[in-house]
Amino acid sequence: MITQYSGISPKGDLILLHKLGEKLNNRSFLHINSTRAGGGVAEILHRMIPLLKDIGIDARWEVIEGDERFFDITKKIHNSIQGNFENITEDMWHYHYEVNRINAERLNLDADAILIHDPQPAPLIEFRKSGIWIWRCHIDFSNPIKESCDHLLRYCQKYDAAIFSVAKFARAVGIDEFIIPPSIDPLSEKNIELTNEEIIQTLHKFQIPHDRPIILQISRFDRFKDPIGVIKAYRLVKKYNDSILILAGSPATDDPEGEIVIKEVQDYASDDPDIYILLLPPFSDREINALQRAATVVLQKSLKEGFGLTVSEAMWKGKPVIGGATGGIPLQIVHGVTGFLVHSVEGAAFRIRQFLNNLEMTKRMGEKAREHVRNNFLITRQIRDYLSVWYAMENKGRSILEL
Amino acid sequence: MIEPFEFKQCVSILKSTGKKAKNLRELRDAIAVVSDESIFHHTYQYFLKGHVLQYTNDFAHWAGESLEERALSEHLSNIDPYSFKNINELRQELLNVIDGYLEYFPEPREAMIGDEFYFNETITLIFPMSIRVKNLAEFLIAIKYIDAAAIYYHFYEARIRLGVDDFSKWIEDSLNKKELSEKIRSIDLFMHSIEGIRDHIIEAVEKDVRAGMEAIEQ
Repeated sequence: MITQYSGISPKGDLILLHKLGEKLNNRSFLHINSTRAGGGVAEILHRMIPLLKDIGIDARWEVIEGDERFFDITKKIHNSIQGNFENITEDMWHYHYEVNRINAERLNLDADAILIHDPQPAPLIEFRKSGIWIWRCHIDFSNPIKESCDHLLRYCQKYDAAIFSVAKFARAVGIDEFIIPPSIDPLSEKNIELTNEEIIQTLHKFQIPHDRPIILQISRFDRFKDPIGVIKAYRLVKKYNDSILILAGSPATDDPEGEIVIKEVQDYASDDPDIYILLLPPFSDREINALQRAATVVLQKSLKEGFGLTVSEAMWKGKPVIGGATGGIPLQIVHGVTGFLVHSVEGAAFRIRQFLNNLEMTKRMGEKAREHVRNNFLITRQIRDYLSVWYAMENKGRSILEL
Repeated sequence: MIEPFEFKQCVSILKSTGKKAKNLRELRDAIAVVSDESIFHHTYQYFLKGHVLQYTNDFAHWAGESLEERALSEHLSNIDPYSFKNINELRQELLNVIDGYLEYFPEPREAMIGDEFYFNETITLIFPMSIRVKNLAEFLIAIKYIDAAAIYYHFYEARIRLGVDDFSKWIEDSLNKKELSEKIRSIDLFMHSIEGIRDHIIEAVEKDVRAGMEAIEQ
């Protein structure tokens, strides 16, 4: 399996994966999160576990079970860790712990290394038997609501190490803290190479012409993704460059605010036949892939963002991306090298015009964008980093490790 | 018999220290107390990033880009970490430069929220790439295709271990080519990205290989 990444991932990453595979051969590596499907964590774990096994690691993935109340509580914890106030009572924290206790009885927690993803299963540390325990925080922990933070820290501080996605999402927990950004899988449906024919067919399917440059933003219909701002920027561009705008994302049927935002966007765009608002069903990975490949310029004009892996997805397809300077986007977009970071509608419009009017620069930056993703944001790098952290924790106190 | 050159590579795993600075005074105070590993990461390891050319260390980059204190970033960019015997000397020089600046400009601006300076450090893993070369022609092919992190290890990191880069040392010691060795040694390591360093090495070696092939045996 890992050989499929030869010629795609950097050679050094693959060599190091094999070397770490030899060092940690037959050792057990357990991942635990709270869902088998949906979301970036599950998406990556589906691909990561077989790859770990392929290099000789005895990898397992377990999922904690809980009822509606449990997930309602953990959603509140999740929100409050990201700085939004939620009323989480002592009784709720106790329930959070109790569900984890029941899961601990059901799950086999014996492993050499245990990676616990996000706050939902964090209390499992109370039932540790053996091995190195690492808490993987996928969310922004920099400005939490204090009470929630204090509660969660009681668990976090019992881990051997924590991993955050971006340095600015971390907070001093008092244990070793590593920074490991998330990644994309170049061999998944969302990122594999497609034929021109399939790309054109996808545009036909959505009745989108391909006679003009396409500007694209793929995102949930969420105000933090600023879809209205994208349309405003497009309208500024349209005065100078005839082009098409596609806003594509899955409708958030379980999110009343999502429906309101879709309606707002549709109303705002209604007078322009060159704006296409696509409500894609879940698992439209191949269609998203085709749209990203069809686009001339990709936007991720977020006002607030976690990591924004859609940026890396587009960059991997050789597209320079214009992104809001927020969350993990600046880590992916090196301003002026792999795309542009913008702070306003006007800034986005200006950069789109630059790309549309200088296709040579667009191509050159697109190539650099792809190389930047190859070197930093592919799944092989993320696996390499997880194993390196495990190995480093087994060699604690040394800052240089020769393999 | 010629000692072969074995290519190695290093990979750094980033660690957060949990410390951050939102203005120059906080940066100064943190530089005074952060770990040696953190100072090392933000100075010596700056070129591992590969694409930044305007500055020569993270402190200069932050002062220039986030605080817009261009004069300070110029001073900080002129600090050569390889000219110090140890991290503490380097740390002191960083502090001297910042203190000197603060004397003239005591109230510099604050960074925007989210754009603070985050003090990190690294754990470095070093491993062989299973590539050995025995002559200059083989070296030329290898240097064209190895990962950028291998160039970093042999060209930058080697200076901490040996005082010079591994490439020029091998070319001088094993191949006895002093002129080529000096040419590689004279490449300004602060003025190029790693890819730029690769291009300069290729250019110098290619010229030497071509000259060797065109030489007429008497």
